[in-house]
Amino acid sequence: MTPETPAEVVPDQGPVEDLPAYGADGTDLTLIRWMLSKTPGERLDILQGSVRSLTRLRDALRNNGLLGAS
Amino acid sequence: MPSEITDYWALLEALAKHEVEAIVIGGVCAVLRGAPVNTFDLDIVPRREPENLTRLLAALEELDAYYREAAHRRLRPSLAHLASPGHQLLMTRFGALDVLGTTTGDRSYEDLLPHATEMTLRDDLTVRVLDLPMLIRLKEETNRDKDRVVLPILRHTLAEEQRRKG
Repeated sequence: MTPETPAEVVPDQGPVEDLPAYGADGTDLTLIRWMLSKTPGERLDILQGSVRSLTRLRDALRNNGLLGAS
Repeated sequence: MPSEITDYWALLEALAKHEVEAIVIGGVCAVLRGAPVNTFDLDIVPRREPENLTRLLAALEELDAYYREAAHRRLRPSLAHLASPGHQLLMTRFGALDVLGTTTGDRSYEDLLPHATEMTLRDDLTVRVLDLPMLIRLKEETNRDKDRVVLPILRHTLAEEQRRKG
């Protein structure tokens, strides 16, 4: 099995302006390109930050009575 | 006290520290493969071989793992639980961890291994992660609402990755 290291993250080879921003189904392709430009460790950091932010937002809503406790 | 926020780094570090052989699947796999999705748990398929399960149990003990559905009883996983092909849906002090004996289509660690590669997250942390084509296939086969929602993102991520590689 070949280890996949950050060095193997494939750089974008096409000019961004020639690429569509959205897929036909509405998927945001710019987010995908942005994620693919990151190393696996950076991608995990992004997920960690996202989950932390969403949890903080949920807690704020709950503390303000705008969301039921689950 | 379990964490309200899943700490993916801490969970993966604990598994690595105990040299647990496992394949990361699910949402964290999708993220590591470059898909911009969110998830609130870590899904792994461990090798169900006695020595590996002993190491996994040691990791779970260190993580203070217990079954989410029996939180009030603090029911802990055992070697027999981990040896089964079923799903152990656990809460730990670093958040939710799902240990899956098998996944869709009764696929075990050995079945998934040819479709996984090692990814280096840090110099001292390497994890085995399912590849995107197989992750997509699993989600297509499972065909639950939550899987159908994420499938377009996974397919576009695979297409974009292939475009970049030329």
